[in-house]
Amino acid sequence: MATEARVLRAQEMAPRSISRSILLSLPIALWSVLMFAHFWQHDRAVQIADVTTAVFMIALFFMMMRTRSTYRWRRWFFVVLGLLFPVGFIHQVIAMRGTMGIPIEEMIAGRTPFCFLPIPLLILPAAFTKTVVFPGSILPGGGMSGGGMAAMAGIWLAMTIVVGKGWCSYACFFGGIEEGMASVPTRAKVRKIDPRWRYGPWAVLLAMVLLSLALFDSVYCMWLCPFKAVSEYVAARNTVGMIQNGIFVVLFAGLVIALPLLTKKRTQCAFFCPFGAFQSIFNKTSVFDVKIDRTRCSPCVLCKTACPTLSLTDESIVRGETLMSCMKCGACVDACPKDAAVWHIKGTEVAMKPERARLMFLYAAWAMAIMFGGGTIAEGVATILHVFV
Amino acid sequence: MAGSFVFGEALALGLASGPACMASCGPVLVPSLLTERAGLRVNTRYIATFLGARFLGYLAFAAVAWELGALVSLPPAPRMLLFGVVHVSLAGVLLWYAYSAGHSCAHACAGSELVTIGATKKRGVAGPAALGFLTGLSLCPPFVAAGVRAAELGSVAAALLFFAVFFVGTSIWFVPFVGLGCVTRNEAVITVARMAMVLIALYYGYLGLTMLLGRKVYGY
Repeated sequence: MATEARVLRAQEMAPRSISRSILLSLPIALWSVLMFAHFWQHDRAVQIADVTTAVFMIALFFMMMRTRSTYRWRRWFFVVLGLLFPVGFIHQVIAMRGTMGIPIEEMIAGRTPFCFLPIPLLILPAAFTKTVVFPGSILPGGGMSGGGMAAMAGIWLAMTIVVGKGWCSYACFFGGIEEGMASVPTRAKVRKIDPRWRYGPWAVLLAMVLLSLALFDSVYCMWLCPFKAVSEYVAARNTVGMIQNGIFVVLFAGLVIALPLLTKKRTQCAFFCPFGAFQSIFNKTSVFDVKIDRTRCSPCVLCKTACPTLSLTDESIVRGETLMSCMKCGACVDACPKDAAVWHIKGTEVAMKPERARLMFLYAAWAMAIMFGGGTIAEGVATILHVFV
Repeated sequence: MAGSFVFGEALALGLASGPACMASCGPVLVPSLLTERAGLRVNTRYIATFLGARFLGYLAFAAVAWELGALVSLPPAPRMLLFGVVHVSLAGVLLWYAYSAGHSCAHACAGSELVTIGATKKRGVAGPAALGFLTGLSLCPPFVAAGVRAAELGSVAAALLFFAVFFVGTSIWFVPFVGLGCVTRNEAVITVARMAMVLIALYYGYLGLTMLLGRKVYGY
């Protein structure tokens, strides 16, 4: 019986045939066509960008199917997304305003592009006063924001309920830069990290929620967002503006560049991002998770080492599960030599057809990646192509 | 009759302003409360101390401002000085609190892997009293609203009584914070609260220093 199970498992882990991989990729290909077929677009650069992005996304999914490996292919998408987001965004901001700096007049007018990161910080002020304290607009004609805020919040909620914190690995346009940085060195120079830093995102979330409610200001955006350094910053008209921008640059250089290079971890996501902490709660609503099959696990802790967010500990491995902060990136599953780290659907037996669970998760996550990240990649590619085409 | 009407007004004003007071004190109260031991009794005592000291802060500010004839419109220079000192002091107390919470945890925790901390070291009333007093000194909008009304009263005693009733109205909104006593205190909760306190302290410290240096916060 055990031998039979082992044979089945071995068959399940062997590379898929090309024809079967193509077949499994067809739904994603169809979705990509729907997302990127902008027939009404006559801009050649945009057309090329759309086709390139669609091919890129389909090819990555095909490779995921063919090799049964998730992390390394997903990482390509994520890093490209992280690098191209600032390209398209900065171009758009400069085209609209002529500068990356947001003057206070623009903020007061609600013409700040909305970003999903402050969503959890704005809930309490909105509940108490029915006011969104983010200086953006959901009204038509509210500048670049337009209906973007409502659309982004809606898409985020729908996707989040399904994939939970998978959002942070398949949709967030900020995490890719640090994931790219983390993948540069072959070995981590700093390996011993105090596990209590894992609580950092929750602390930032608590502090920012309380301060945003007390001050009726989007405190995170004004003071702590590392990604202001590569998107839009406060127009530095005085010392305070200089301090704010200084903080953005220092946090970006430290958390997104230097620490990932030293630790091979996604340090901003793992130790700082308040949105990530909030998103962790939705891992409870998501039907997908990653489990450790205790019957196969030898305590090599390769999964723990591979996890970019310290979401596996010795204790959690013993319990056969990841921590709440798991981003479902697939690094532990790919790293496990015994195939003990497996994708799992809640309510089913652990290691019961894990590849099926992976497929179901990936269809949801990759559809989201195409819709949310794919558009951003296409915009970045189009921006670059506009220089040449 | 007129007196009871005035104090009814103070109570109504307090009740109406309570959410703003709660929001204003939240960054100080919530994380510091989370570093205390779990249990409704402990948390009730903490909040009672905090509110009592806050009340003293209210009265002290009201009495001094009344004597200076500046209850409603405190001149900018002393206001910046006062609030600068209050914010820097708040930052200092929060940092001390974060440090001491770690210290008491280190004594109580048998090991880092221990999940539930059943018996963190019992801490005195100095912390919540200091935090409550300092938050009581801040010139938040509800306080200004009460100050305007109190300034119209005939004597300092009446003004202080007005503030006392106003305080009772706002304090009712703090009762839900007692519920934080039901949150299990484990390493995660205490570490999160301590880290949050440090962040909040840095922000208050920055605000206080900019006030003391006489700089405008946004300069616009």
